[in-house]
Amino acid sequence: MNEIVCASGVELLMDYLDGVLPPELRAALDEHVAGCPRCTAFVASYLATPRIMREATAAALPPDLEESLKVFLSARTGAFRPR
Amino acid sequence: MAVPIEEPTDETLVARAASGDDSAFEVIVERYQARVFRLACRLTNETDAPDVLQDTFLRVYQHLASFRGESQFRTWLNRIASNTALMHRRAATRRPVEPLDVFLPRFDAEGQHACTPADLQVASRADELLDRQFLAQKARDVIARLPDGYRDAFVLRDLEELSTEDVAQTLGIAPAAVRQRVHRARLMLRGYLGDLAGVKP
Repeated sequence: MNEIVCASGVELLMDYLDGVLPPELRAALDEHVAGCPRCTAFVASYLATPRIMREATAAALPPDLEESLKVFLSARTGAFRPR
Repeated sequence: MAVPIEEPTDETLVARAASGDDSAFEVIVERYQARVFRLACRLTNETDAPDVLQDTFLRVYQHLASFRGESQFRTWLNRIASNTALMHRRAATRRPVEPLDVFLPRFDAEGQHACTPADLQVASRADELLDRQFLAQKARDVIARLPDGYRDAFVLRDLEELSTEDVAQTLGIAPAAVRQRVHRARLMLRGYLGDLAGVKP
């Protein structure tokens, strides 16, 4: 008996995507989402969330910090010293 | 005709660096500094990230001889960088934060999504609907508002794109716990993005 509603489907999503959901639950979830416009929309936004957050937090290393890293390491290691 | 010069692998560089070749260590630093800085920003903040960056590479240098090659160098480096970042964060005083539970999905009595499909979809277009700078600022802020355990799992799994297994090893928790935390974080952040883009949770 694998009756899935939106709420229980949401709880299974991560395991589904990570490939650890038992096959019968997997099939039941596929079936529910295919017939549920709300879950179809929800899954799209759930999948987009990591990508959007990843792109929004991709900080670039400023050149002055790159320089101070070299100075720091040259004082404490044998690297970044004139040879 | 230009002959492509083969880049030395991480493992070759580490072996050379461990045997005293400092120029090999320099190549490692140049190869990974941007990545370590990005991870440090995500696990701490822009103020602490420069220290995390410096301490990470100092620790790498000091422990080169203990890298056994049983894992990939990148995995080993990720672990050192994560641990260094978490140590810095523990040292800092944390201010109380507003919980994000309000952004979790809501269901009616039958367990059906309480929102319309159109509203449920909005979070997936947050990056098209919102100003880039604004979204970047909000994303940094909201990650800092996640409970620590959720933040660490989400950052490593979804932002740094480590495997669930590697995250579990780095954080010293079971893979099932990683999945549970990442899932909760995704649910909260998804609701938060939808809210930012104009949908009430």
